[in-house]
Amino acid sequence: MRRFRRAISWYGKIIIKVLPFGLVKVIYKDYEQSNNGQGVIFVCNHRSASDPFLMACLPYEAIQVVNMWPFRLPILGIFARWAGYLSIREMPFEDFLEKAGKLLKEGVSMVTFPEGTRSTSKAMGQFHSSVFRLALEVRCPIVPMCISGSENIPAKGTRLLEPGKIRVYKLKRLQWADYKDLTPFTLKNKVRDSIAQHLAVVETVS
Amino acid sequence: MAQKEIIKMTNEVFEEAFEIESQKLTPEANIFNDLGLDSLDVVDLVVALQKKFGVQIRNDERVRNIRTLGDIYGFIDALGEENKLSLPREN
Repeated sequence: MRRFRRAISWYGKIIIKVLPFGLVKVIYKDYEQSNNGQGVIFVCNHRSASDPFLMACLPYEAIQVVNMWPFRLPILGIFARWAGYLSIREMPFEDFLEKAGKLLKEGVSMVTFPEGTRSTSKAMGQFHSSVFRLALEVRCPIVPMCISGSENIPAKGTRLLEPGKIRVYKLKRLQWADYKDLTPFTLKNKVRDSIAQHLAVVETVS
Repeated sequence: MAQKEIIKMTNEVFEEAFEIESQKLTPEANIFNDLGLDSLDVVDLVVALQKKFGVQIRNDERVRNIRTLGDIYGFIDALGEENKLSLPREN
């Protein structure tokens, strides 16, 4: 499975850095620069179909929690299945907790887009609570991620990339001790607010 | 139970269990789009409402049709009528 995860990561790097070279610039900023090999849950805002590929920036062994559609892609879908991607809509929540929990304990991180679907604009949708319930159960760190500038790369309904800059920010992690007393609902909103606040700052100054 | 009391107690559930500000708690507020609950949060909501009102809701099919806060007020009201719920109970 590890080999397939690496293959997907390299594929993502080609998609985000090599193919659109000169047209789209991806800037990745890590605010904590820590990777101790522990499995973490990355929580990202979601504006565009390119967002899952942008996660190739992360120097982590990771799978993505997806919403069925990547499994339908011709080749990538097969690789995603072999890499152990979790299609959250295709399994009971208890199975998701068990499978995802096992992977996190093995040191495999999880990339998640709790809005569930692309917002296609700068407005962020409401978060689903599944991954936050998982974090509370497994007691793993949560790392908020901000993606800015991807909303038209590509715009919804087209595969054409508009020239531009995409910024990906890895924010400081929340340790279990920081959030253990929160309910899943308040935790998801706390993380959502931290992403929204950072995006507001980034998009005001850039 | 008076409608006013149902509204007050239901809003308390949202304020206490979900930390939602009281200004957002209007009858027309959609619990998913406006208040941000999802299907798993609804399970927590049902448990909190059961505890607050001392009624059995979990297996009630009508829960599936709830979209707004007003729907919840109406549902609790109907439940109260069916169960002759006269006094608010808090466990």
